[in-house]
Amino acid sequence: MILEFLQKLANYHAPLRPPGAVPEDEFLDRCIRCRKCEEVCPYDSIVMAHGDRGLKVGTPFIYARREPCYLCMKCTEVCPTGALQLIKKEEKEKVRMGVAKIDQTTCLAYNGIICRACYERCPIYREAITLENEIYPVVHPEHCVGCGICENVCPNEPASIIVYSSHA
Amino acid sequence: MTKFEEYFYRHLHILRRISQWAAVVLIFLIPFLNRHGINSLMGTFYSIRIGHLDLMDPALMFQTILLTKHISFSALLAGTLPLILALVLGRVFCSWICPYNLLAEYVATLRKKVFPHKKYVLNHNPKPHWYWAIFGLVITSLMVLGIPLITLTSFPGLLSSEAADLVLNGTIGVEIVLILVVILLEFFVAPRFWCKYACPVGATLALFHYKHTMHVHFDPKGCTCDSIKTLPCNSVCPLGLDPRHRDIYPYCYNCGECIYSCHKHQGKSLSFSFKDAPKKGVVAARANLKMNRTIKEVDA
Repeated sequence: MILEFLQKLANYHAPLRPPGAVPEDEFLDRCIRCRKCEEVCPYDSIVMAHGDRGLKVGTPFIYARREPCYLCMKCTEVCPTGALQLIKKEEKEKVRMGVAKIDQTTCLAYNGIICRACYERCPIYREAITLENEIYPVVHPEHCVGCGICENVCPNEPASIIVYSSHA
Repeated sequence: MTKFEEYFYRHLHILRRISQWAAVVLIFLIPFLNRHGINSLMGTFYSIRIGHLDLMDPALMFQTILLTKHISFSALLAGTLPLILALVLGRVFCSWICPYNLLAEYVATLRKKVFPHKKYVLNHNPKPHWYWAIFGLVITSLMVLGIPLITLTSFPGLLSSEAADLVLNGTIGVEIVLILVVILLEFFVAPRFWCKYACPVGATLALFHYKHTMHVHFDPKGCTCDSIKTLPCNSVCPLGLDPRHRDIYPYCYNCGECIYSCHKHQGKSLSFSFKDAPKKGVVAARANLKMNRTIKEVDA
């Protein structure tokens, strides 16, 4: 059990903030924990932090492995304080929630099994994730919006492609 | 006194309870409707969105301005409407809507039943500087520590937020512990201290109390309770104030229970008023009160 806990600790990465979030320090000052983003989210992707996040309690997070962001941008419309800045639905490629990173030691494609799960589901299709030699998925950080769909659909457990939040 | 006023004062208690319970229903109903795709009502008592109209707790509006040192127009707009309500009607949010106040009122009733006070004490209105000192302390520590202290101590917001959490995710956050601790303190140690002294939400609304804001007006002419030992207006006040004095503000939150009680006992001396009380009348009222008090002391 201790080993499991340590493993979890080693693999820890911060959950994502919803799209349009301002830098973390400013976000914590602006967010009034009103839960409108959580309520409006049609996919229930956004969940509010509990006490284990300390003073970040009540602020919105997206746990990509649980439910990623599908970039509908409804949350950015309802935020009353500008903690989430308005981004239009057509401009979803402007979102910067985080950057995906592939672990080549466990990724199926890099281990001789054909798998295109992340490549096919990526909403910034053929830009954020491309296939090298039609086999190996490669992330392009300059195009990745960090929505977490790739992490969500990865068939490996734990996921071989992980989105690292740009809001540390 | 108009007929409407008469009717309103006679049914004030039940109207207030309906309004309070409607607010309780609302904090569970809003997340439920949102979960089922109806987004016309949204949010918690931190900030509520009705259609496309955003309303925001004014205390949080000031908090956002103080923490970010930046004034955002949308937040300013959202906080202004509740402030206008406070400017006209006083702290009616606290007494007619706030779910924590409803809870605390029932806790206070329970306390009275468990620990009955045999000796009747005339209510005493505390000096207003206590109120502003505590509020100032909250604001100062908010700015020094840089943490959203008002968000973390706004009980209507916390309660509605936890209700939403319960409906949306089936969980309850750790913030509820703070509320439980305060309720236990109010039950065993200091009745109603949170709403009376500490709540930053109420204090922000009280800031906007001026002489034409709706207030409880006492007219000594109609006071018929000289011979009754326990004054009906004093004994029902949920915050333990003496509404026969003008100095109940900023503590009084205009619940109107004293007025209801006065009218129930066939009195006519208490009413809501928007008029600035003439100074002379206040002095006369004071003199009258002093007399009443001496009579009472002889009585007792």
